[in-house]
Order: sequence, then C-alpha cells, then structure tokens
Amino acid sequence: MRRTVRRTVLSAVALAATAVLAGTAPAFADGTATPVPSTAPSEGTEAPTTAPTQDPAEEASPVPSEAPSDGPTTDPNQDPAQVAEVPAGAPDTGVTPASSDSGVPGTLIGGGAAAAFAVGGAAVFLVVRRRATGA
Amino acid sequence: MTVLSRRAFGTAATAAAATLLVGCSSDGEGVRTSGTATSPSASASKNAPASTNTSAKSVPAVGRSAPVRLRIPAIGVDTPVMRLGLAPDRTVEVPPVTDHDQAGWYEKSPTPGQTGPSVILGHVTVGSYGDGVFHDLGRLRRGEKIVARLENGTETEFTVTSLRTVAKADFPADDVYGNVDRPELRLITCGGPRDENGYLDNVIVFAALTSSTSP
Repeated sequence: MRRTVRRTVLSAVALAATAVLAGTAPAFADGTATPVPSTAPSEGTEAPTTAPTQDPAEEASPVPSEAPSDGPTTDPNQDPAQVAEVPAGAPDTGVTPASSDSGVPGTLIGGGAAAAFAVGGAAVFLVVRRRATGA
Repeated sequence: MTVLSRRAFGTAATAAAATLLVGCSSDGEGVRTSGTATSPSASASKNAPASTNTSAKSVPAVGRSAPVRLRIPAIGVDTPVMRLGLAPDRTVEVPPVTDHDQAGWYEKSPTPGQTGPSVILGHVTVGSYGDGVFHDLGRLRRGEKIVARLENGTETEFTVTSLRTVAKADFPADDVYGNVDRPELRLITCGGPRDENGYLDNVIVFAALTSSTSP
C-alpha cells in the first residue's frame, strides 16, 4: 500500500513538475522567443545595411564621378605637343627664277650666244653687200 | 504538452528562420549596393565610349610610319617624299633646289594618319629649274583628295578642308603646328607677290584624314 501510495505521490509530483515545466516552456517561448528575433534581426539588419550601403557608396561614387570627369577634359589639355618642336618663322619654299646665283651664268650664256649670232649676221650681211656691189 | 512543445519548437524554428531571412536580406542589400556600386561604373563605361566617340568623329588614326610618296591627282602631283628637320637657325628645312624637285615631311610632326598635324612642304618654284612640285598647290579646292603612302605600305587619303594664303610675316604657327583631335595634313609652299628676297606669302592647304588602307 505504502509503496503504491509513494509511487502515486512520486508520479504525481513528477507529473506536476513536468506540468509546471511544460507550462513555463510556452511562456518562455512566447516571452523570450519573440523579442529575440524581433530585436536580433533589427540589430542584424542595421549592422549589414549600414556596412554595405556606406562602404560601396563611399568607394564607388568618388571613383567614377572623378575619373570620367578627369578623363575627357584632361586628355586634350594635358596631351604633349603633337609637333615636337615648332619651327621658327615661315618656311621658305620658293626660289624665284631671277634671285638665285644660277641665274648669272644663264644670262652670261644667253648674252654670249646673242652676241655671236649678231656678229655672224653682220658678217653675212657684209659679204652679201660686197658681192652685190661687185667689189 | 506535446502541442505546447511543438509550439515552442515551432516558435523557435520561426525565429531562427526569421533570423536567416534577415541575414539574406542584408546580403541582398549588399548585392543591391554593389549593384549601385556597379551602376556608377556603368556610367563610367558610358562616359568612356563618349570620349572615344569624340575622337572617333573622323577616321581612326593609323600607326606611325614615315611618308614616302605623295599624290595630289587634282593638280597632277606624284612625288617622292623626303625627311626634313630643323635648320641651324631653327627654321624648318626645305627640299634642295634641284631639277627633280620633291616634297618633304617635317619629321618632328606626326606622320600622315597619326592624330595631329602632319606637315609636308614643297617648293613653288626652284629658281632656274622652273616650277616646283607644289607650283599649283594654290589651285586645290575644298573636297579634293591627297594621298600619302607610308613606309609600311599604308595609304592614307586626306580631303582638303580649307586653303589659306597668308603673309609670311604673319605665319599662323598655332593653326599649322597646334594640337588637333584627329589626323590632319598641312601642305605648305610659297606664293603671292615677290620682291628681291623672294615670295612674300605662304600657301597652306589644310586637309583631314578620310580613309586609310593597309597593305
């Protein structure tokens, strides 16, 4: 009898203990489980959102905004001179026919030929005239 | 009890899943921000072709190779091209005064087809030898063709854009030798009235590259 009573009492205590534990478990779950995900994710979302939104924005925005603006504008202005050395003055690309030294012998030759032709013509004229007069 | 424990387990599982989902969304934002990070680079790549478009307004430039021959069909010029440097007085050298006159390329300027002003000079007259190779340069008109053949066999074809006769005293060095954003050609000779010192003007033909053919 006593054994059975003890057994029933022990089992009742065990049942009560499990019932209490089981009762606290949902309370535990309701009370603590909901705050954990609600706060933890909120912290979790803040942490990753701030990190990637700031980092790429800081990294990405300055690079392209400065690089393309520098690229096209600096290229034409900062290019070295395409003509390595600009010559002084204007090119002298015309030798006039009368201005060169080579014109002097040309005129001498021309003058000499004309003189020889004139002397020859005069001689022929004299010969023809003497024959005509019968001298 | 089992129901309760299931509920507890379900709640914990839901919380864990929610945490996982939050983690994914943060990763998603990271991707999105990386997406926004790539969008500036995309705009940069949009800008890059824009700058190449500005340089691609004309025919693409060709590699550096010295000119060896020059043809101007409109005025019957077909001449070899020699190299010219600077004289001791820092003026540009000119081809020698000979019977067989030829043109000369100023070797401190770009070669024909390179971006920049390539400068080729020739005489209008060569003293007692008569007319120079560029005697009729002043007759060229806008739209007429000039062909320069390069040492590497490439043929570059230029089209006359303008012709100017300027006093030697006011030679437009900036217009002739200044930087330009496309391959151009300058043909220079003398012209205008003469005095005891020679010609008083320069005739300058400005031309731009319109095509090139590789061998």
